[in-house]
Amino acid sequence: MLQKKICMLGGFSVGKTSLVRRFVKSIFSETYLTTVGVKIDKKSVALPDKTVDLILWDLAGEDDIGSFRVSHVRGATGLVLVVDGTRAATLTAALTLRERVEAEFGAMPFVLLFNKSDLADQWVIPDSEINELRKFGWQIYLTSALSGEHVDDAFLQLASMVTK
Amino acid sequence: MTSTVDPISLPQRTASNDTEIDREALARLLIEIARNVDPDYRARFDGIPAADPRMETLRQLLVSREISELSRVTHLLDEPQQLAAAVGDVLPIAAARAPHAQLGEALAPAVERAVQRSIQTSPRTLTDILYPVFLPAIRKSIGEKIDQTFQSLNETLRHIFTWHGLKWRFEAWRTGASFSEVVLKHSLVYRIEHIFLINRNSGLLIAHVTADNANSEDPQLISSMLSAIQDFVKDSFNEKEQSSLDTIRFGDLRLWSEVGPFATLVSVIRGNPPEELHEIVRDVLLRIHEGSSEALAEFDGDSSQLTGVEAQLRTCVELKQEESHQGFPWLVVVAALLLLGLAGGGFFLSWQSGQRWQAYVSRWQAYVSRLEAQPGIIVAEQQVRDGQFYIAGLRDPLAADPQSLLSGTEVDPAQVHSQWQFYQSLEPEFVLKRLKGSLAPPDSVRLSIDNDRIVAEGEAPDTWIDRARAAARLLSAGGPEFDISKVRDVSPDVLEAERWQAYVSRLEAQPGIIVAQQKIHDGQFYIAGLRDPLSADPQSLLPGTQVNPVRVHSKWQFYQSLEPEFVLKRLTASLYPPDTVRLSIVNDRIVAEGEAPDIWIDRARAAARQLSAGGPEFDFSKVRDVSPEARAAEHWQSYVSRLEAQPGIIVAQQSARGGHFYISGLRDPLAADPQALLSGTGVDPARVHSQWQFYQSLDPKFVVKRLTASLTPPKSVRLSIIQGRIVVVGEAPATWVNRAQTAAEQLSADGVVLDVSQLHELDLAELNHLREAIQTTDIFFSSGKVVPGPEQTPALDRLAEQIKEFAQNARKSGVTARFMLTGHSDTTGRETANASISAARAETVRALLNKRGVAPELLLVRGAGTFEPAVPENSQAGSSTNRRVSVTVNLD
Repeated sequence: MLQKKICMLGGFSVGKTSLVRRFVKSIFSETYLTTVGVKIDKKSVALPDKTVDLILWDLAGEDDIGSFRVSHVRGATGLVLVVDGTRAATLTAALTLRERVEAEFGAMPFVLLFNKSDLADQWVIPDSEINELRKFGWQIYLTSALSGEHVDDAFLQLASMVTK
Repeated sequence: MTSTVDPISLPQRTASNDTEIDREALARLLIEIARNVDPDYRARFDGIPAADPRMETLRQLLVSREISELSRVTHLLDEPQQLAAAVGDVLPIAAARAPHAQLGEALAPAVERAVQRSIQTSPRTLTDILYPVFLPAIRKSIGEKIDQTFQSLNETLRHIFTWHGLKWRFEAWRTGASFSEVVLKHSLVYRIEHIFLINRNSGLLIAHVTADNANSEDPQLISSMLSAIQDFVKDSFNEKEQSSLDTIRFGDLRLWSEVGPFATLVSVIRGNPPEELHEIVRDVLLRIHEGSSEALAEFDGDSSQLTGVEAQLRTCVELKQEESHQGFPWLVVVAALLLLGLAGGGFFLSWQSGQRWQAYVSRWQAYVSRLEAQPGIIVAEQQVRDGQFYIAGLRDPLAADPQSLLSGTEVDPAQVHSQWQFYQSLEPEFVLKRLKGSLAPPDSVRLSIDNDRIVAEGEAPDTWIDRARAAARLLSAGGPEFDISKVRDVSPDVLEAERWQAYVSRLEAQPGIIVAQQKIHDGQFYIAGLRDPLSADPQSLLPGTQVNPVRVHSKWQFYQSLEPEFVLKRLTASLYPPDTVRLSIVNDRIVAEGEAPDIWIDRARAAARQLSAGGPEFDFSKVRDVSPEARAAEHWQSYVSRLEAQPGIIVAQQSARGGHFYISGLRDPLAADPQALLSGTGVDPARVHSQWQFYQSLDPKFVVKRLTASLTPPKSVRLSIIQGRIVVVGEAPATWVNRAQTAAEQLSADGVVLDVSQLHELDLAELNHLREAIQTTDIFFSSGKVVPGPEQTPALDRLAEQIKEFAQNARKSGVTARFMLTGHSDTTGRETANASISAARAETVRALLNKRGVAPELLLVRGAGTFEPAVPENSQAGSSTNRRVSVTVNLD
């Protein structure tokens, strides 16, 4: 049994929860997010040589970085940063959360998801900006919780990164 | 500028207020500029118009924008509505940017006041907010309390009258625990359904074990969620790092968590686990940490390194206590509640209003149980009515006082109404107490209870025994048995007779004492018999027996006991054996061992003969005769044996006559000196007369000694004896090899083999060139001089070095090199003078070489005069060549 703790970070209502709802095994209801501030899900990813259970810690979306519970990230080996493509501020929020985590626990592998790619007419993040970020070598995916587009790709990518 | 040129006087100020522009100053400035531009203007102009519309225009041109901006801001600040809207826009950002500590400090008083206010005006709002937090906590707390009450009530009711109840009461008495503790211990029903071993750092599941028939959702998710909840609690309530959430309870389920350095063990328990279970679970966690601490510390999500842990967890899951088959406790609860309701109307109400009364009643119950457990107290009736306690029954006057037992129970004595009838308990311990009171047993009697019987043991006079017997008869009707058979009658006569018998037995056991007759008559003791004078004194044996010596009348006849130990004593006294003799008894025989002079042995023999008539055998055969002559002869013989063992000594004849010793034979001069061997043998040398003929022993050892002395082999040669042959091995100069061969031939005639086949001529080839160099060196002298000139110093230095090197190498090869320094002269002058000068030259060179470190004993000196010229003496060169010292090398 190979497991890795993964934290999902992102601003308020970027769609983290709905992003995983259809793609992971979950036994806890979403009320946990508002009560305990975290919800645990599991995503089994089959790599060519092994299967990894990603234990996903879906941390409650916080736009106020100050109240973000960094202690939940202890022991994590990777991050899923989720940005709402229709709200530019959520990119800053996601990147700030990542900085906060790295300051506390050091650098760790992550994938950056621009969610709500189905809402093309409200999309505000220009391609040029995404390409700029890709130049850092970051793994970036445009995902849609609605269509499921690229969600599995992103988890597969992260799984191979954290098991290296 | 204005200070030097200021012709203009400004009689009035046009500025109406301070905020407006200073018109006068502006006007001055403009005029000043105009003057500088056009000097003529200076002459023409002499004043400022009171109001100049152009000034106003200029002002508008310069600052109109600022004026409008200012008026907008002023308006904003003056209008509270607008100002509030503006501050509201920036307040969240400002609050976010403010340092948290300071902001918190600044806001705290306001927030506190606000909360206070809110509670005063409408407590409902805050109650609603906190409701989800408080209610479950309160509910849980109340629930637990009620549970506990019910549990103890249930269990107590269930077990008061059952067989288990009696058994557990006994156990409580035996272990000293309270009855309710014992009941709880046996009634707790629980089962560990799951065990999770969780990595402390990441919350990842390391291992999980489930009991049979227990289900749970995905353990991996549960594991992480448990950690998240731990974090949540810790963060929410500012708990310290080291503490953790150790118990979560949900209905029938409990989650116990034990935290280790690297992993947390969470057990999911259904039912009521006892507190000791914590210890057991903690122990398992400890053992897991001990066994796999490294793997736990390095755990990164791969649990394949920790597969063995599961077996250890399994031991926990197997821990459970099955429910007893005594029926469902809640039924008993209902019954109990009904009973309680009937027993007292008030009780139910008071129980409902609080647990104080409940606790009080349970203390009363504890007191009653205590009374019931008391021997000699029988509780016939007890009840609780209208807040008063009533108790009635029987008690033995010797039993504990029920009133005094009340203290410490916290039951108010004023509320207790007791009615006790006295009775005589037939329980053995009370009978015992009463017997002790009535019989007054003497100190020598001990009364005790043995299997419900009262047993008296010890010694007592017959009067007491009679009284005890009467008491035993009285008791036999219904009471415990009183056994007095173990009390010994110790009336004085009986006691004295017993003591006398003990003394007589003691005498009879004594060796050398034979008791023929003894009797007791009128309080007097008579005894008669035989005793050996060497045996113990019968009188001296009396003290300690408590027999009065005055009343003892003894008649003893002496006799000689033939018991070995008496015979031994007598022999020791009569024979005076020397210190070297030891007498002992072996199998009834007396044995003497050691050394003694013949005189003593003769006396011992006489004694043995006397004893032979009926007495034990006296064996003195092991005593060696050590009269001085015998000893001297022994010493002589050991000396002769020693000589005979010597190589190179042949003893031909020896004898001992008249205290003198005579010896003759052959001895090799190299053999040990017979005289020297005498020392330490104890033989007096003055009494030894020796006659030794010298002979040459052909014993190889002696031959080797002789050869070593005569041939003086060099160090490089080794002589050894191998299987009776003498073997010479090594290298030697040719001359020595020749001598060895000659010796071998001579010895062969005597039958001794001297093997020289392994003797080789010394190979001096490497020395030869050095020898050549030394022998071709000459030290030259001036005519008539015996000291060489300074030009010879290098040659001398070199020669000294070569000689030293040669001597050293030769020594290594086991030969000694010697150097002959021969002095020479030319033919000038008289022959005798030449001879002495040549010798003197050789001596000088010897001295000079010695000075250069050559050992003088290696250097031989001679003067050859003119007799050994190097070249024919016919020229100046020839004579100078002949004035020299030459060197020849000889090897020994």
